[in-house]
Amino acid sequence: MSHPHAAISCRGIWQVYGADAPQQLKRALAETGNDSRAAAALLRERGLVPAVQDVSFDVLEGEVFVIMGLSGSGKSTLIRTISRLAEGTAGSILIHGEDILTASKQRLIELRRNKLGMVFQHFGLFPHMTVAENVGFPLKMQGMSRTDRRARALEMLDLVGLSGREDAFPRELSGGQRQRVGIARALAVNPDLLFLDEPYSALDPLIRRQLQDEFLKIQAGLQKTSVFITHDITEALKLADRIAIMRDGVVVQIGTPDEIIVNPANDYVREFTRDVPKGRYSHVSSMMNMPETLPAMPDDPKIGEDMTVDDALASCMALYQPVPVWGRDGRMAGIVHPSQLADALQVERT
Amino acid sequence: MTDISASGSVAATGGKDGTGRTGMNGMTPGVRIAFLCVLVGAICLALSPYQAWIRTWPAALTLPATEWIGAGLTTLFEFLKPAARSLARLLEYPMAGANRLLVGSPYALTIGVFTALGWHIGGIRMAALALAGLGFVLASGYWIASMNTLGLVFVSVPLALIVGGLIGVLAHEICSLRRAIETVLDIMQTVPTFAYLTPLLLLFGFGPVVGLIASVIYAAPPMARNVLLGLKRVEPDIREAAIMNGATRSQQLLLVEIPSAGRQIMVGVNQTIMAALSMVIIAAVIGGFNDIGWEVLLTMRKAAFGQSLIAGVVIVIFAILADRMSSALARDGKRHSWKVTASILLAAVVIALFQNSALPAAQDFAAFKSAAAVIDRSLGAFIAANGVILDGVKNGTMFFVLLPLRIGLEKAVLPFTWGFQWTTGISIAVFSIATVAAIVLALRNHAVAGLSLLIATGILVTGITNLPWPFVLVALGGLGWLAGGTKLSVFAVSMTGAILSIGLWEPALLSIYLCTASVLICVAVGGAIGAGCAVSENAWRVMRPVCDFLQTIPLFVFLIPVLMFFQIGEFSAFLAICAYAIVPMIRYTHHGLTSTPDELIEAAVASGASEWQVMREVRIPYSAPTILLGLNQTILYAFSMLVIAALIGTTDLGQQIYLALGQGDVGLGVAAGASMAILALVADRLIQGFAARQRHALGL
Ligand SMILES: Nc1ncnc2c1ncn2[C@@H]1O[C@H](COP(=O)(O)OP(=O)(O)OP(=O)(O)O)[C@@H](O)[C@H]1O
Ligand SMILES: [Mg+2]
Repeated sequence: MSHPHAAISCRGIWQVYGADAPQQLKRALAETGNDSRAAAALLRERGLVPAVQDVSFDVLEGEVFVIMGLSGSGKSTLIRTISRLAEGTAGSILIHGEDILTASKQRLIELRRNKLGMVFQHFGLFPHMTVAENVGFPLKMQGMSRTDRRARALEMLDLVGLSGREDAFPRELSGGQRQRVGIARALAVNPDLLFLDEPYSALDPLIRRQLQDEFLKIQAGLQKTSVFITHDITEALKLADRIAIMRDGVVVQIGTPDEIIVNPANDYVREFTRDVPKGRYSHVSSMMNMPETLPAMPDDPKIGEDMTVDDALASCMALYQPVPVWGRDGRMAGIVHPSQLADALQVERT
Repeated sequence: MTDISASGSVAATGGKDGTGRTGMNGMTPGVRIAFLCVLVGAICLALSPYQAWIRTWPAALTLPATEWIGAGLTTLFEFLKPAARSLARLLEYPMAGANRLLVGSPYALTIGVFTALGWHIGGIRMAALALAGLGFVLASGYWIASMNTLGLVFVSVPLALIVGGLIGVLAHEICSLRRAIETVLDIMQTVPTFAYLTPLLLLFGFGPVVGLIASVIYAAPPMARNVLLGLKRVEPDIREAAIMNGATRSQQLLLVEIPSAGRQIMVGVNQTIMAALSMVIIAAVIGGFNDIGWEVLLTMRKAAFGQSLIAGVVIVIFAILADRMSSALARDGKRHSWKVTASILLAAVVIALFQNSALPAAQDFAAFKSAAAVIDRSLGAFIAANGVILDGVKNGTMFFVLLPLRIGLEKAVLPFTWGFQWTTGISIAVFSIATVAAIVLALRNHAVAGLSLLIATGILVTGITNLPWPFVLVALGGLGWLAGGTKLSVFAVSMTGAILSIGLWEPALLSIYLCTASVLICVAVGGAIGAGCAVSENAWRVMRPVCDFLQTIPLFVFLIPVLMFFQIGEFSAFLAICAYAIVPMIRYTHHGLTSTPDELIEAAVASGASEWQVMREVRIPYSAPTILLGLNQTILYAFSMLVIAALIGTTDLGQQIYLALGQGDVGLGVAAGASMAILALVADRLIQGFAARQRHALGL
């Protein structure tokens, strides 16, 4: 039942490390009656590592899909399985409807040359090539001529704000600049899909924030479908259209930032969002409701459904009656009680 | 120069039983093994007067493996000979070409080209080095001989690089082959240099092509090793970036991985060049070609030490030039101006044009003839004046260190040297004292130390060459078990057992003895020097170039100075081995002691540890794995020198290999070579095992 607009559609992905993993997985599933948790436990008992267990999700066209979780939760393994840098043990992965697990070597190379881009945590820049040659490398693989490559590389470097450094070598750049090169290289072939594995984790906070803003800007312009890995919840909330939270190889919750904050699926997720200033990342829309009969609403502080809870609360803090919430189209989208907003912040602070 | 982290050392076989762990009945595995050794040793000692087979392996049980190998290889070679001879003929062309190029070119041009190259890659210093070095070579009168040698090197280096590079890439690409290739490379590292020569001589026929092929075989492994290491160390992110950019496997390899591994590969190129040069010179022992190695041998045999020293210096010059130039190429430092390079070349061409009319021919130079005579004369005078002291040093070491180790105190202690006669009574007294000491130590929880003391006493009284073979096998098996579990134990016993069964046990024990003696000295002296350098920056500043120098010069050259002062004999061999094998001990001790993590030292200091306590509690334990690796390298170095030392009078396996070369006896040559490799390999695996264990225990 994959979503009609899914750019990537994963069903039942398993990645098990160890000898004879596919056979072992089949056996374990058979022995436990297809209970994936029990099967994983069984595999672990037998000395294998079930790094990703029965993961399914869809990534929609044009959305930023963030995968987050603690170190070792299987994020990298998952993205590497989807991009087929690692061969999955079981499951199916469709990219734009095409089954990529059965794709031939040749087809895979074609896909990578034209459709997929990837940004790495440690940049993965080629040390013996200049910045421009690095950015031009995927184009070279496509067979583009040298001059066209150079022109396109300069264009990309301009996009990421690195004009003028095209003839430097990676070792002459700062961390932030290197990652800009990595991003320019991933965008050079104008891919439909972008994989980013903790692209900013090796950078210091200031540079990180700067690059996040740039990413949002580029994303607003290009509308790439992106799978973005991070272990930083603020980064996830800032960039994501939707977030998948992983723990020990299992996806424990998928949802919009609001859903994650307002309705954490379990204590693990709650623990993540514990120190997050929730009012800044959750929106009124996630708390309003639309009763059959409207109560009396003497005041209208003009609260919109897109407002963050913080902003809304600031304008209705002093009120004791429900207030209307206005939709983007100018019509009333629902109502919310100011105490509800305050409560939402209150509860999560404990 | 050797890069410590990259020096090809053999993968350790990590076992699972902890040495330090207390066993069920309070006996650690270490104690049990030591106890077993003591028991077996005692039984052997008690029985050996009545049972001759304990001391000497019965002849009836000795396999005529040497003959079998000889016959087998000879038959095999009959098949291979036509192909080998064609290959030899094929190789004649590049060899003749390189030879004509180097010998035929005017020396002024050759010197100019090297000077220009030196300038281009290393500026004024490298240019001066090349000019002065080659100037010396020319003036020495060994120009033609040197160019003959260099011609071989010019052919063997590219071949070794190609072969080694391909093997490295192959090992990296085909995972199922990797283990096998790595094992073969490990073994090749331990096969003694002379051992290649006998089979090659039979296969390819007498001629310089044997030296060429031997040097390719000897020099390819470092290249293969470094290529493999470099490719393995390419960061995963870089590797995967290439994949995700849609590169095919060959594009990944050629455009990304190999260039990324460039630095490590250049280390391999440097090592290959040095190895090729060294082997070409060693191959001179097959004789008959007017090359520089032959000159050294010839002058050494004639006891014309002045001349042989000068020829030795020529070799050292080539080694230093090759090393410095290839490592300058490896560093991607700035290149120097083309204009100067071109002017140097131009000047060289001009001089070369006038060379024939204005300058003497290359072979007419003999600037150092008189210097050589002076050296000989003053050497004679020095020996005449200080002969007593020299003899004192030599005899002292022989009688009080080497002989007791070799034939045991019970035979070495004679009225003539020690002033008294060793008797059974003394033996009993010594053993009783050692036993009491062992018991005291054991009661103080140092059971292993106590038992080791007992074992050491036994070895010292009996002598290494008289050790009963059951004891040796049990001890090796026990050490193997401690270092790497059952597998290593079986490996050590079966491998050494093979030497025993093919009747090479006696020379093998002699090798072990000479190696032990030199390694003990290297550990004591080298360890002390290394520790001194760790304490004092200045000492290291002095020692470092000395170590670099000693590691650059070909093995052969070590023989010259020792021969000058101590003549042919075991003592000279011993000194040469020590001089060569001490370097890794110094280096690794220094490296180990200075690379303790700062945090740990600071933590110890913060806990109030004194300087000495920091040394004992932190530095030494943490450097132990590194120092063990140094010991390992020292042993491997000692074994490789042991073979070369056969030229100046030893009686061990190395001598067998050398004899076999002289007689064209492939069976003996290969069997003795294999035995030598086995000894080195077993030592290597044992120490690597202990080092891995120590590292594991420290959580490194
Ligand atoms: N090649 C492999 N063989 C065996 N186990 C592996 C392999 N690769 C990863 N694992 C294991 O899979 C688990 C998930 O690793 P993964 O790298 O995907 O985590 P991650 O979420 O990306 O963590 P991080 O934030 O540290 O990058 C870990 O327990 C890891 O040890
Ligand atoms: Mg990761």
